[in-house]
Amino acid sequence: MTLLVSICIGVIFAVSFYLLMGKELKEVAMGVFLIGHAANLGILAMSGQPLMVVGSLVEPKGPPILGTGRPMVDPLPQALILTAIVIGFAVVAFLLTLLVATYRRTHELWIDDLAAEGNPAFLIDGATERKNAAA
Amino acid sequence: MEGPGLWMMLVAVFAPAIAAALTLLLPRPAITARTLVTLAGFGMSFGALCWRISSLGVGHGPGAIVGFPFAESIHLSMTFNPDPLGLFFGMLVSGIGFLIVLYARGYCGPDRDSLYRFYPTLGFFASAMMGVVLADNMLAMLTFWEMTSLSSFLLIGWDRDNPRAVKLAVQALATTGLGGLALLGGILLMATATGQWTLSGVVAALSSGELPQQHAGMIPWAFALMFLGGATKSAQWPFHYWLPGAMAAPTPVSAYLHSATMVKAGVYLFARLWPGLESFEFWGPTLAPVGAVTMLLGGYLAVRSSELKKIFAYTTVSQLGLLTCMYGLSASGFVHGAGADPSAHGAEAAGLALWPVMQILNHALYKAPLFIIAGAIMHIAGRKELHQLKGLFREHFHLALVCALAAYALAGLPLTLSFTMKEAFLHQIHEATHASGWFWVIGAMAVLTAMCNVSIFVRIVTTFWMQPTGAPEARYEDDPHARADNPISHDTGHDKPGPEDDHLYHHEHGFWAAWIWLPAAIIVAFQYIGGVAPGWFGGFVGHVETNTGAWDQLPSLWHALSHPGVPLAMSAVAITLGVLLGLSPLWRRPIDDPHNAIFPETYVALQRLGAVVYRGVQSGNFRYYVYAMLGALFVGLVATMGGDAGLHKPVISGALWNARFGLILSVVGLCTLIVLTALMIPFVRSRIVRVLILGTCGFAVTGMYLLYQAPDLAMTQLMFEIISVLIFLLVLRMLPEEAPKRPKGGRIGRAVFGCFLGVTLGWLVAAIGGYVESTDIERLGPWFEANSYHGEMIAPAIVEDGVQVAPAQYARGGGGENVVNVTLVDFRGYDTLGEITVLSIAAMGVFAILAVVPASRFKPSASQLSSTEFAARFDHRGVKYGRQIMLSTPLLQTTMRLVLPLALIFAGYEFFKGHNEPGGGFIAGLVASVALAVYRMTFGPSVMKGLKPITPALCIAAGLLIALTTSATPLFLGEAFLRSANGYIERGGSEPYHWATAAFFDLGVFLVVVGVSVGIINRLLEELE
Repeated sequence: MTLLVSICIGVIFAVSFYLLMGKELKEVAMGVFLIGHAANLGILAMSGQPLMVVGSLVEPKGPPILGTGRPMVDPLPQALILTAIVIGFAVVAFLLTLLVATYRRTHELWIDDLAAEGNPAFLIDGATERKNAAA
Repeated sequence: MEGPGLWMMLVAVFAPAIAAALTLLLPRPAITARTLVTLAGFGMSFGALCWRISSLGVGHGPGAIVGFPFAESIHLSMTFNPDPLGLFFGMLVSGIGFLIVLYARGYCGPDRDSLYRFYPTLGFFASAMMGVVLADNMLAMLTFWEMTSLSSFLLIGWDRDNPRAVKLAVQALATTGLGGLALLGGILLMATATGQWTLSGVVAALSSGELPQQHAGMIPWAFALMFLGGATKSAQWPFHYWLPGAMAAPTPVSAYLHSATMVKAGVYLFARLWPGLESFEFWGPTLAPVGAVTMLLGGYLAVRSSELKKIFAYTTVSQLGLLTCMYGLSASGFVHGAGADPSAHGAEAAGLALWPVMQILNHALYKAPLFIIAGAIMHIAGRKELHQLKGLFREHFHLALVCALAAYALAGLPLTLSFTMKEAFLHQIHEATHASGWFWVIGAMAVLTAMCNVSIFVRIVTTFWMQPTGAPEARYEDDPHARADNPISHDTGHDKPGPEDDHLYHHEHGFWAAWIWLPAAIIVAFQYIGGVAPGWFGGFVGHVETNTGAWDQLPSLWHALSHPGVPLAMSAVAITLGVLLGLSPLWRRPIDDPHNAIFPETYVALQRLGAVVYRGVQSGNFRYYVYAMLGALFVGLVATMGGDAGLHKPVISGALWNARFGLILSVVGLCTLIVLTALMIPFVRSRIVRVLILGTCGFAVTGMYLLYQAPDLAMTQLMFEIISVLIFLLVLRMLPEEAPKRPKGGRIGRAVFGCFLGVTLGWLVAAIGGYVESTDIERLGPWFEANSYHGEMIAPAIVEDGVQVAPAQYARGGGGENVVNVTLVDFRGYDTLGEITVLSIAAMGVFAILAVVPASRFKPSASQLSSTEFAARFDHRGVKYGRQIMLSTPLLQTTMRLVLPLALIFAGYEFFKGHNEPGGGFIAGLVASVALAVYRMTFGPSVMKGLKPITPALCIAAGLLIALTTSATPLFLGEAFLRSANGYIERGGSEPYHWATAAFFDLGVFLVVVGVSVGIINRLLEELE
């Protein structure tokens, strides 16, 4: 199971890195969105598979809740990942807002054009507004 | 060690700064009071040292060292060593300082603003300098050392409106400051090598030779760094350029810094270290040549200067070189060789007896008057170049006379202390030439330097004597304090300049005005006293000389004249050559020191280098940074995995294939779904579809969480996935459709690199996961399991006759059965607290950013976009942002009316069962958020209006407040931050009711999550509406 999941993780990582290296900011945002899944799943997979051998059969272990009587999976990675999911959400929401702000200010989402010299994004705060007002 | 000794030292060190700082409290016009208070500070400092000598004697050895611990953990303590050397320097600093205070009063005249600012800075500098010479702890000395650099920066850059002065001040600060850093390095190495953190301890350890052997190799490095520190401070070649540059300061500063204090700090350091390090073979060969070169260079450049202050500055450089050279030559074994038989050469085997401390005093006694009088001439006569000062004897006889007397001492002519010192030096050099002919080189350099000094004297006297020729020069008015804000200024009320307008016209007459030249006369008098009776001085200074006890051998003038020999001949040659050079037209044209370019050129070169590096490293292109980070990640991962044999081969358990078919199917199915959706994303054109596929992939991951037996994770991820996709779609509506076709090169490269990274990380996960499964490693998880409900068992249950009498006693635990939830709200509560704070900050960021860049103000101008682009990118979207939100259909509205209450009830249920079953604040908050957000989308902005005064921001604030209050309450009960409590409330008959304070914390989490999620979606919707 770990092998299968790690293949999934590898694929998600590859795709998200591909997106992160993209030339447009929307692609980058999608890459950030996706990479969290791979990282979280990776932490979970690295804590071992949730399977146990009962006689000749392999059964899933129980969730990390006391009193079920079954051996449970490690609760710590889950607590860590829960935090990571929440933070990941905050990062994506903030990043997307920045995207909106960037576009509104510069009318540009292509990274190479944004980095080009003379782009309004590099003007000191307020200069863009004045320029737009003048134009 | 306490007692009066400590207080005397503290007064000596800090009185000038404290008194001078107190003058800031005086009203500005109170010039006399200001001067008197500052004088009192310097006087107390000098007096404390005198009192120390008279009452307790001069301290020797560790018993005399006084001080108190300051920061012992870093070996910094405030200890002071009142030994002869320190006391001598201290008296020099405070004594000359006392006269400089008076001089500054005469120099600045009634310019109250200058004095208001000047005295505190001067006091700060003086205290720093006193600290340098009296501190015993090396780090304390370094602290004072750096304080002198800082305060001298303020003094040199006194004319802060003059960019040149500021530049020169920066040059001095950078040079001496870097030297200070080198000194710090040297101190650390030295302390490591000797195990001592005090100067006295280091010297004792070095001279006793009892050193820890393992660090002995460090001593040369320590010496090299400390030498660098001393050489920069004492303006040794090639760092001497800052000293003449420091002449930008007002003359009182130059007179103080360059005669007795700042530049002597480096020499002081050499004097301190001399007893410990002189026996090492590197001491002499380093100090002597550097000093000799500096000496000759300074002399030459002094002759080639025309500005009075500059001439004296270069002679200072020359003298500092001489002093360094003296300390080099005094090293034992340097002149006569390490293997020399002490008996053969008598006392000289220990090195030359050169009286360097006497020379320090000697230098101060003529250099301070020279600077003082140079300032007076510049100020009163209004001219600063030597050739402009013709006829000064007639104009200002007293100034010219004192200047000539001091210059006579500079030249080392008979009847001065200088002459005696020069004879002694030449005598010793002559002795040294018996050991090696090489010392004739230093002898020749000394003679040439003396020649330069003599020629300066000759030029000064002849110029002063000459008749002024030509029209009077324009007054030199570049003095900082004589600027426009000076109340007594150029307006004298006379049309034609009268005698009192010609000079002294912006100074008052009388007692205070005389102090512009009187200090020079007082100080220079000692030169002639010493010249007539060197023994009198020797009796005083001889105790301080660390390298010889033969102070009474200092030759008097009569002794020198009655014992003619090679030294006297050398003197005569120097005087003859000097007089000839002084009278000749040779070397009259001033030149610039080529070393002046060192600092500016280095500065510019470093800036250029910085620009090159910056341009190389900071391209400003986001993709570049991504490539850099991913490349570093890849290299790091490969290096780690390559270095760890356990990660080379994943362990494949294959346990899954023995499980039930349904489990296998779900694992394989979900994996396939994840892989397929992920791989589809790069190939999909439409951005909406892309986001939906992203969401699908997320849902598949959610399923995977379920298979990993993580119900809390699955629920959280599910809800967040919904909200994230919603946000994504809303944001996409604010952004343009794909722009017109752009070159899409580099896709293959990206794909290949991405695959490399993906394979590496996948491999890493598989390898670590397999390793964890196949090995019985220690985990943290079981601890959380054991302590989740209650802590460890303290006492087992007592069972009597099969009936439980007393229940088992346990340590306090988290009181919940859902280990993940208890971990979040209890064990790792700090994490959760930080996390909801991050959420809140992100939400605030979203609110603020959207408020700063409203869509209406940022419509692209027609010039920014071509017409087609404009149509494609903006017109199509921007104008048609309708009020209609797609979701708002009657069917959905009806459904949402029913769903919302149900969802909120479900959220409440999730909230309360969270401690024991999957659920909790996060999940409950998310369930409520999703319902509220969709409801908000369905019914439009009126929903939020109806909820007033409850706003998302209020929700967030309240949530954070509740969480923080719950966390902080235990502090008031004497418990740890975030400590939770739980227990049962007995209810008659039925099951007891379980309570836990963690629920309040979870309530805070709930409110924050609702506020953030609903707030962000509401804000984005508002933007679209």
